[in-house]
Amino acid sequence: MARAGRPLDRQRWALTAALLALAVLWLSPIAWVVVTSLKPSADIIRLPPEWIPWPATLTHYHEVLLGSSRTARIGRAFANSLVVATGSVLVVLATSAMAAYPLARMRFPGRDLVFVVLVGSLMIPNAVLLVPQYVLTQRLGWLSTYQGLIVPEAAMLFAFGVFLLRQFFLTMPRELEDAALIDGAGPWQVFSRIILPLSQPVLAALAIFAFRSAWNDFLWPLIAVNKPEMFPLPVALALLRSAYSSESYGPIMAGAALSALPLLVVFVVANRRIVEGVRLSGLKG
Amino acid sequence: MSRQTRVAYAFLAPGLLLFATYRLYPLLEGLRLSFTNARLGRPTQQWVGLANYARLLEDTRFQVSLWNTAFYTVASTLPILAVPLVLALALNRGRLKNLLRSVFFFPFTLSVVTVGLAWLWLLDPVVGPFNYYLRALGAPARSWLADPHTAMWAIILTTVWWVTGYYLVVYLAGLQDIPRELYEAAALDGASGGRAFWAITLPLLRPVLLFVVVTHVIGSFQLFGQVFVLTGGGPGDATRTVVQHLYETAFQNFFQFGSASAMAWVLFAVILAFSLLQFRLLRGHTEY
Amino acid sequence: MSGHGNGVAGGERNGGSGAPSGARRPGVSRRAFVAGAGAAGVAAWARGAAAQPKATITYWNGLTGADGKVMDELIDQFTRDSGIRIEQQRLPWVDLYAKLQVAVPAGEGPDLALIHTVEVPHFASDGVLEVIDDATAAGKGFRGEDYLPAMWQGGTFQGKRYSLPLDVPQHILYMNLKVMKDAGLTGSDGRPRVPTGRDELVTMAKRIAAKADTFGFAIGTVGPGRYTWGFHNLLWQNGANVYAPDLKKAGVADPAALEVAEFWAALEGQLKIAPPANANCRDAFIAGKLGMWIAGSWNFTGLREAKVEFVAVPVPRLFKQAVVWAMPHQYAFPKPKAADRAKRDAAWAHVRWMTDHVAEWTLKAGQVSASRKAHSDPRVTADPVLRALLSQAPSWQVGQPTPKWVAAENLTRPVIEAVYTGQKPARAAMEDLARQINALPD
Repeated sequence: MARAGRPLDRQRWALTAALLALAVLWLSPIAWVVVTSLKPSADIIRLPPEWIPWPATLTHYHEVLLGSSRTARIGRAFANSLVVATGSVLVVLATSAMAAYPLARMRFPGRDLVFVVLVGSLMIPNAVLLVPQYVLTQRLGWLSTYQGLIVPEAAMLFAFGVFLLRQFFLTMPRELEDAALIDGAGPWQVFSRIILPLSQPVLAALAIFAFRSAWNDFLWPLIAVNKPEMFPLPVALALLRSAYSSESYGPIMAGAALSALPLLVVFVVANRRIVEGVRLSGLKG
Repeated sequence: MSRQTRVAYAFLAPGLLLFATYRLYPLLEGLRLSFTNARLGRPTQQWVGLANYARLLEDTRFQVSLWNTAFYTVASTLPILAVPLVLALALNRGRLKNLLRSVFFFPFTLSVVTVGLAWLWLLDPVVGPFNYYLRALGAPARSWLADPHTAMWAIILTTVWWVTGYYLVVYLAGLQDIPRELYEAAALDGASGGRAFWAITLPLLRPVLLFVVVTHVIGSFQLFGQVFVLTGGGPGDATRTVVQHLYETAFQNFFQFGSASAMAWVLFAVILAFSLLQFRLLRGHTEY
Repeated sequence: MSGHGNGVAGGERNGGSGAPSGARRPGVSRRAFVAGAGAAGVAAWARGAAAQPKATITYWNGLTGADGKVMDELIDQFTRDSGIRIEQQRLPWVDLYAKLQVAVPAGEGPDLALIHTVEVPHFASDGVLEVIDDATAAGKGFRGEDYLPAMWQGGTFQGKRYSLPLDVPQHILYMNLKVMKDAGLTGSDGRPRVPTGRDELVTMAKRIAAKADTFGFAIGTVGPGRYTWGFHNLLWQNGANVYAPDLKKAGVADPAALEVAEFWAALEGQLKIAPPANANCRDAFIAGKLGMWIAGSWNFTGLREAKVEFVAVPVPRLFKQAVVWAMPHQYAFPKPKAADRAKRDAAWAHVRWMTDHVAEWTLKAGQVSASRKAHSDPRVTADPVLRALLSQAPSWQVGQPTPKWVAAENLTRPVIEAVYTGQKPARAAMEDLARQINALPD
């Protein structure tokens, strides 16, 4: 097949080259954000557009992270997002895994009903719940708090997590569990010592999915947080945009670049897991 | 209650509590609120029956928002379906598949605000690069976000850029599941390339397509973030969406929770109707 | 577990230990007595000092322009002078007001807020702000005579005072010298021609816009299409207003208002002198793509930093009267959950300090003060832009004192944008707006 494939090979490389060109174009908006964030203010609005910031400057990053201007508490917002996203992931992983286990492995009255309700709830658009969730959160005294952001986020991801994990648990061979049960292990031990360790791939995929969702959530924190120092990153960024309307794009772009950083890291490190997660969620949808 | 039942519900309890409190209860409470005149700061609410819903019939801005949102959903469906699919097919035939997949996926990891800010800057009518290059190429350049005819399309473009990577991965997984033998058999029969696509690929991708469409519809009807950053609903009300109208009614101008809840349930009904329609259209006739 | 990670209460300086009891044995020696008395005195002084805990107060404002940085500097200076720490939070004005509305009833509002005069009526009637009784104000040194009457009046609603004015942000006409020169509109002295009326403005703007990619005239900082403050300025110049004088019926469909709306509609589409509705006029002005720019006074220090060559002249009379839009900033105390004397005193201290140092604010942020004292400060009168701003004082006009002002403004924004972009004809749009404004609930 090797020699006979030569014209086909050339075609493939041509296609690849075209795709590479498209890929470069595809990344250009992000590149532009980063480039702008490194340019001194005077150079930002200069035309024709310069794609290499020279001289480059870190003043916008300094301004946005450490500057005396209280408009852009990006550093603080970054920390808030980190806390909320991590908390959400932990709560979702714990509750989903614990709920998926009996749904996959046990028989009990109401099992199918619970599952159907959970899957059905995936169709509920979040917008429908916005106002009553706000009222509930206010009554609980959780407005502008971390738990006021973590708990609703986890609740939103719960059904999906259960769905994903149950799917995975169903494919696991029963032999190990049966052996453990015969040995006298209780259900919690089976769950924690056998099921969970073997589920690392799907748990990781769910964790990444949940992290992204929690990190990027915008509308809920916009209404549920009234104290500017508790804003997570997307809200701080969005308000930053209006806030800097009278200045230039430099600090805004620095903020945007910073906001992309953690997920970029996660993405580079855990690329395969992400793809796995999307695969798992997409195919049986 | 048998022991297993008790154990099962013990495992389920934390999650179910979470779910019942923050998903089920708000769903029903929202419905109840839609029949009241609840307002932030007003301690008492009164039952007003269908008054909120009736008022929506006169609320021209709500109707405009609904129309805009529906337009966005329908107009963006084809690009969202087609672009990632074409990319997936191309990636499958070319090389460097994993690298390219990663590159196209990357925008999906960004928050909607970051995406909006990046494109806001790109599309700046006076000093943004997009228009600059268009003019250099001799193409007409205008203020895409400020022109009522193009604003929504600019938002669609932004969204396509954002989510294509995700659907690309979904398609790639779906394509991977199609057994190669089918293509080889078809090639032997003299059918390849385009015919193979229509006869084999597309039908076998139907469940994936359905997933893409339904996910997209549910998401599109809740369009908010991109509009908030890019146009604020403008120019005029040309890109105003239902969720934006809801947000402003409940949390900005008048803090009217009752009206906003009615809006939310109308939106829910519309989404359900659209999803069912898509289901019907795409389920169609299955051969296998 | 509230998220208040940042709040650090000003440390109570733990002065001396308790006073020594001095005479424990009868017949204490004189030296011991003096030592004891001395120590007691030191302890008393230390305890006296420690008895003043320095409060930390929260302060919200919307100063998102170049003046924001100046406020930061002044706050730092205030903290150095007084020991009172201020946690400042800045949000864009529209979001600031929405958050205040929601946060204060929930007991999460700030100790001090800087708002606009036009916000006072609706916040006051919604019970968001505390009444400032005249005796307290006088006691802290705030007297009506020190202020311009319109400014002093602006902080009241239905006879009660809710805020104290700080400064007078207003409009002014900026002219980019290079752009004007390139269009041949500068005289031999290097100064640009100043338009005296609408027709002259349009002619000059057309000349500027003849050059590719350059705009002749714009009103507003970002998004001129929806710049309600500019629209109001023009309305007032033509004798029209959002509400009729009875403050009950909308006045935006009156003939005078329609005339203004027609002009608004023509700016981009017909006359082709103005940039697109969502343009960033400030960037355009700095980049030399905009010649004449009516915008807020809060921009000019930023323009100087960006090293743009410009002059600032009074807003020309484009319609019947030479009115200049002004929107004074006001200090107000949102209602707290529980009264905290220390925090309120600290907030008063800041307001007092800022008023005393308002000349600094004027010089660095470009905002003319509401109090008269700073107007005669020689440093202020030496600056040509500040002089131009001060000269506009007789023409200042502010928004109408109705609680529905802000809601009406929110409704106006998309409507005037639709007019600007030509989506809707001016008359139909204004009539529709009038209907919407009249339908606002009380």
